[in-house]
Amino acid sequence: MLESATAIQIEQRDLLDEFEAGQLAVELDSGTPQEVIAWALERWGSQAAICSSFQAESMAILDMAWRIDPKVRVFTVDTGRLPQETYDVMEEVRRRYGVEVEVHFPDARQVETMVRRFGPNLFQKSVEARLLCCNVRKVEPIRGALEGLDAWITGLRRDQWASRANIRKIEIDHDHGGLAKINPLADWTLEEVKEYNAAHGVPEHPLYAKGFTSIGCAPCTRATQPGEDPRAGRWWWEKNAPKECGIHCPIETGAFEHELDALLHPQASSSLRTVR
Amino acid sequence: MPAAESQGEITWDLIRKRNFVERLKHEKGGLEVIRDLPAMIEAGYEAVPEEDFVRMQWYGLYHDKPKLGYFMMRVKIPGGVLSPAKLRTIGGISQRFGRGHGELTTRQNIQLHWLELARLPEILSILAGGGLSTTGACGDNVRNITGCPVAGIDREELFEVQGLLEEASDFFVRNREYSDLPRKHKITIAACPHQCNAPEIHCIALVGAPRDGEPGFAVRVGGGLASWPRLADDLGVWLPAEEAVEVLRAIVDVWREDLKYRLSRAKARLKFMVHDLGPEAFRARVEERLGRRLADGAVPPAPEEEHDHTGIHPQKQDGLFYAGFPVHLGLMNGETMLRLADLAETWNGEIRITRRQNFILAHIPEERADEVVRKVEELGFPLRDAGLRGASIACTGDPFCNYTVAETKGKLHEIVEHLERTFGGAAAGLRLNLDGCPHACAHHWIGDIGLQGTTLRERGPAGERLHGYDLFLRGGLGREAAIGRPVLKRVPGTEVHLVIERLFRAYLEERREDERIQQFFSRLGDEELVALGSREAVSVQA
Repeated sequence: MLESATAIQIEQRDLLDEFEAGQLAVELDSGTPQEVIAWALERWGSQAAICSSFQAESMAILDMAWRIDPKVRVFTVDTGRLPQETYDVMEEVRRRYGVEVEVHFPDARQVETMVRRFGPNLFQKSVEARLLCCNVRKVEPIRGALEGLDAWITGLRRDQWASRANIRKIEIDHDHGGLAKINPLADWTLEEVKEYNAAHGVPEHPLYAKGFTSIGCAPCTRATQPGEDPRAGRWWWEKNAPKECGIHCPIETGAFEHELDALLHPQASSSLRTVR
Repeated sequence: MPAAESQGEITWDLIRKRNFVERLKHEKGGLEVIRDLPAMIEAGYEAVPEEDFVRMQWYGLYHDKPKLGYFMMRVKIPGGVLSPAKLRTIGGISQRFGRGHGELTTRQNIQLHWLELARLPEILSILAGGGLSTTGACGDNVRNITGCPVAGIDREELFEVQGLLEEASDFFVRNREYSDLPRKHKITIAACPHQCNAPEIHCIALVGAPRDGEPGFAVRVGGGLASWPRLADDLGVWLPAEEAVEVLRAIVDVWREDLKYRLSRAKARLKFMVHDLGPEAFRARVEERLGRRLADGAVPPAPEEEHDHTGIHPQKQDGLFYAGFPVHLGLMNGETMLRLADLAETWNGEIRITRRQNFILAHIPEERADEVVRKVEELGFPLRDAGLRGASIACTGDPFCNYTVAETKGKLHEIVEHLERTFGGAAAGLRLNLDGCPHACAHHWIGDIGLQGTTLRERGPAGERLHGYDLFLRGGLGREAAIGRPVLKRVPGTEVHLVIERLFRAYLEERREDERIQQFFSRLGDEELVALGSREAVSVQA
């Protein structure tokens, strides 16, 4: 048990503890997105980074952060199945903001194993296969990106989905080793995000103009009709998929990982069933 | 944010713009969803908009995990008091519709799982027929009103309150005026001299404080845990018992009518208002709402530490006894509920749920006490377990809860078994409060040792995520009530039982005379505690 001594040494990194995070979340709750971003960059500097999918929210965050600190770090995940338009925005971001987008790729061996075993279009074959694909191509690379950080900044908003209604602007991300998760746009509406982007000439993902409301991997995202549930644009062929797994990158909330654990490893959480 | 917002001009339009749930409630109130239930069932689970599932919280329903069409249902039990018939109703639903699962909660509710959307009308109608309700069990409502589980039967009770508790409960339940609160609201009412009902952590607590023989209460306001833990303040008033519902109503009114607490759910609960104003100014607001002054008063001193009514005790009714039984992990399956109901019915008894997820059997005739204890032991609740198993609690967590990060009840089971093997009876009474997420359903902030699930920064050998726990120390209820702090962070799940063993062993060996574990942890620094948890033997300066 000697190794445990190292496992619980006081951390050298600048991680918030639960109490501090709760207090800060309340203090900063009425802050503007810019104030929250400025606070996070002041505290963590290059140990904080923006997670960007190049959708409207993360573009607004990037623009705000860049105006505060042009050296702000941005990371994304290239799943290998992104639409060309996403790469085009990525180029535009590099050019306009002069930032190096830190692109994280899936583990080649994991992708090879998965595709050889289940085929390149495995996501169409079952919900479990699609979740596996999401996990290998997106969730795992994000996890890797977060391992080196003390804080990540996301574009989550409270009105994106019911389970986000209570997100705080400062949280501890217990799904990823306890780093801080900063949600500066928590209380903004999509309209405010769009207004900000328009007013500041922020590059817009071209697929919005083609009717997309949510943008992910090319084969798993399509345009929706006006008035149609935005969920209809993701994994539209699926039946019996867990609620919420089909919209707005629930990976950022951690919900995806909880669903994945429950669906792919039900035995891992069932030890209880043997207890009275 | 536009200037008007920062200058504090708060309108309903602004609230509905900023706060998604306020918008949702405005479009259709939580209570209204019930008339759409048939249409929801017709459309099928997948087609139901998520907003309607949020509204289903008003009827005590949440998605189970994964979100594939099964629900958790929370049945409200005011004061925790159940007749055998009511327990049989709940047990029957568990058996018929819920795969036999059931759990007791820290707010004296019973929760069932695995319920399907299509069966809900039938389930709700069976509950109603049995005099039970889930209305307001979740969502922005006055939640189950809790109390002392031996109200009306304990010899030390200061005066009778169960009737009042039910009156208050009846007033708020299904009352549309109070079904659109800024956030959830937790009330507790008791005249227990041990203040066993945790007034420190409730939004409002009426604390029994008779004056010149007249039943009445002092009041605590503004407590709560979750991610912004706060101990309730003494409102500084005294009120006769017959004014209790009126005053409760006025307190809830000043909060729900203040638009400031509608703007963000992160700052919506009553504790934020009490914190902003301070107890004196808050009292003035309540008095203004009442249109009269309240008498001055003070909350009676809390007992030294938390109290649970386990064990066998004579009731205030001659010849009758009550017996508090520990429920390991708070789990009680449907079949056991039915058998317990059958047993309690043989003497017209009652079953009362406690806030440490245990139960009390009431009104046992003296001559049957030994037999009842034996029969309850056969049902799986031996009285001798009261020590550690009765004191320790874990939240719902895996496999059901969508929020949990790490295993909860299963992990608590491992830890408890380890401590029993290691320390035997010496660990009796140790309060382990284990939560899977920051919501703190199992009150990790105030356990002797609180645990909250997290993940480690390191990966497992196959690159997998590893679960761990933050350990919270120095918290507790009672005279030295305090919010604990996470002192040992990201302790691997595979080692957490050993770390707790070391901390507890250090306490046993190094404590000063009569020192409680909270006091022991409070006089040590963080680094000392981390060292204690990490190593086998460290000497502490006594």
